[in-house]
Amino acid sequence: MRATIAGVRYFLLGLMLFLPLLGATAWAQAQEGRVQETQAQRQQVQPGNNAPVWRNVRSGTEGYTSVQGRETGVLIQTQGQTWRELRNGPIALYGGWLVMLVLIAIGVFYMWHGPIGLHSPPTGKMVERFSSFERIAHWTMAISFCILAVSGLTMLFGKYVLLPLIGHTLFGWLATLGKNLHNFVGPVFMFSIVVFAAKFIRDNIPRAYDITWLVKGGGVLSGEVVPSGRFNAAEKIWFWGGVIALGTVSSASGLVLDFPNFDQTRALMMLANIVHVIAAIVFIVWSFTHIYLGTVGTTGAYEAMRDGYVDETWAREHAQYWYEDVKAGRRAPPSGTSDTAGATTAPQIQHGGD
Amino acid sequence: MARMKFICDAERCIECNGCVTACKQENEVPWGVNRRRVVTINDGVAGEKSISVACMHCSDAPCMAVCPVDCFYRTEEGVVLHDKDMCIGCGYCFYACPFGAPQFPQAGAFGMRGKMDKCTFCAGGPEKDNSKEEFAKYGSNRLAQGKLPACAEMCSTKALLGGDGDVISDIFRDRALKRGKGAEVWGWGTAYGKPDNPQQQAPKGAKS
Repeated sequence: MRATIAGVRYFLLGLMLFLPLLGATAWAQAQEGRVQETQAQRQQVQPGNNAPVWRNVRSGTEGYTSVQGRETGVLIQTQGQTWRELRNGPIALYGGWLVMLVLIAIGVFYMWHGPIGLHSPPTGKMVERFSSFERIAHWTMAISFCILAVSGLTMLFGKYVLLPLIGHTLFGWLATLGKNLHNFVGPVFMFSIVVFAAKFIRDNIPRAYDITWLVKGGGVLSGEVVPSGRFNAAEKIWFWGGVIALGTVSSASGLVLDFPNFDQTRALMMLANIVHVIAAIVFIVWSFTHIYLGTVGTTGAYEAMRDGYVDETWAREHAQYWYEDVKAGRRAPPSGTSDTAGATTAPQIQHGGD
Repeated sequence: MARMKFICDAERCIECNGCVTACKQENEVPWGVNRRRVVTINDGVAGEKSISVACMHCSDAPCMAVCPVDCFYRTEEGVVLHDKDMCIGCGYCFYACPFGAPQFPQAGAFGMRGKMDKCTFCAGGPEKDNSKEEFAKYGSNRLAQGKLPACAEMCSTKALLGGDGDVISDIFRDRALKRGKGAEVWGWGTAYGKPDNPQQQAPKGAKS
């Protein structure tokens, strides 16, 4: 009995939902019929009515034109307005604030916390951290990234920030230089991503101890030394999320914009531009934290990537498991030669501060 | 001051491409650049309509809004012009423009864009009026000579009207009233938006 009542109820409910749908469909079909009417059909009933033609124009239907080129048969494209509102509106506004706020946050953190130093005194004995190939791969990527970031930020914000300061002539000249650099350095950056990823992917595979590292926040605030592999969990996230993910997204969207000679549509280029700008802003802002931690934020980090060597204390405190493996001979040092050679040929570097 | 606008009368345009030719001839535009084009809707079937389109010199010009180097400017007559010395060839104006007006000559490998080129309403550029430099970069400056754009002047059926918006819309209104159809002023909503004051009365006496 109960089941029957429930069945009837569901039937009625279904009917309630379904019936208006039928009516709506019929109405929509009638409307669609009118909308789909061609100018030829309309002229037979209303000779002076050009509505179907103007509907074609507004919808971006391609007509015939003797002028060859990309979308020359389209009279009005409306996506441009959407792109303009997104780019000049929320993207420029929130992107600009994001860049400013992260820079301010890093500055505040530096004033409050200072650089992450060593807990024990340096031993004076150096251990190889990066081979010359690894450093070339890193700096190729880093320098091309910086050129792209500066020229890219100029494209989006220069009009509001730099132009009022230096005037139209100089800014136009700099922007031309920046745009050409951006177009030609972009492919260099893409190539460096591939080389960099192939070289460093092994040491960036997530491990169980990375979770412990993340939970403890790397010991930055507690002052605790948290062990990690060659790269800590935050560096691994930067590798996967930054270099690999954002690198791929910004590269792919950048290629669409860099080669306009394939007659790709304006809609595709505008979509690519939005994806490119958002990915690039996140990438740039994230890179601020990496650049900070790789230079003034961590004692000895910049020297490691410049010269390739770190103090043994640095290696033990920043990459304990890796250091132990290299010391025990379980893995070769970055150059691939025997582990004792590294220590003897290492240049003697004086670490500033602690 | 006059506010320069274009009207293309879709009831009159016969797709002769005279305006396209006149523009190329007058301004000596480079190969691959077409400041004006004629588009035909329903080509070859009943209800065919042709429209000549170029830069409409918008009131709230999208090209001007998105240009990263701010190379666009508007003259006192409402003509949207740009400075090629500043243009970086990014193509943003081409994305944003509803009418497909901005053109780019290819300047180098991989389809690299050169300096943008577009209809100037035959009003040249920022250089000295009718100077050699102005002509080389932007073409003819007929407005400075007291003439109207070559395309509209050359139109065989007077479908394309170029000039003071008030004057040409009066001409178009008379036509629409007489023939009793084809009153749609093509592209004006997109280019010039809604009127600032729709309830405004027509001015009495002489026009500006």
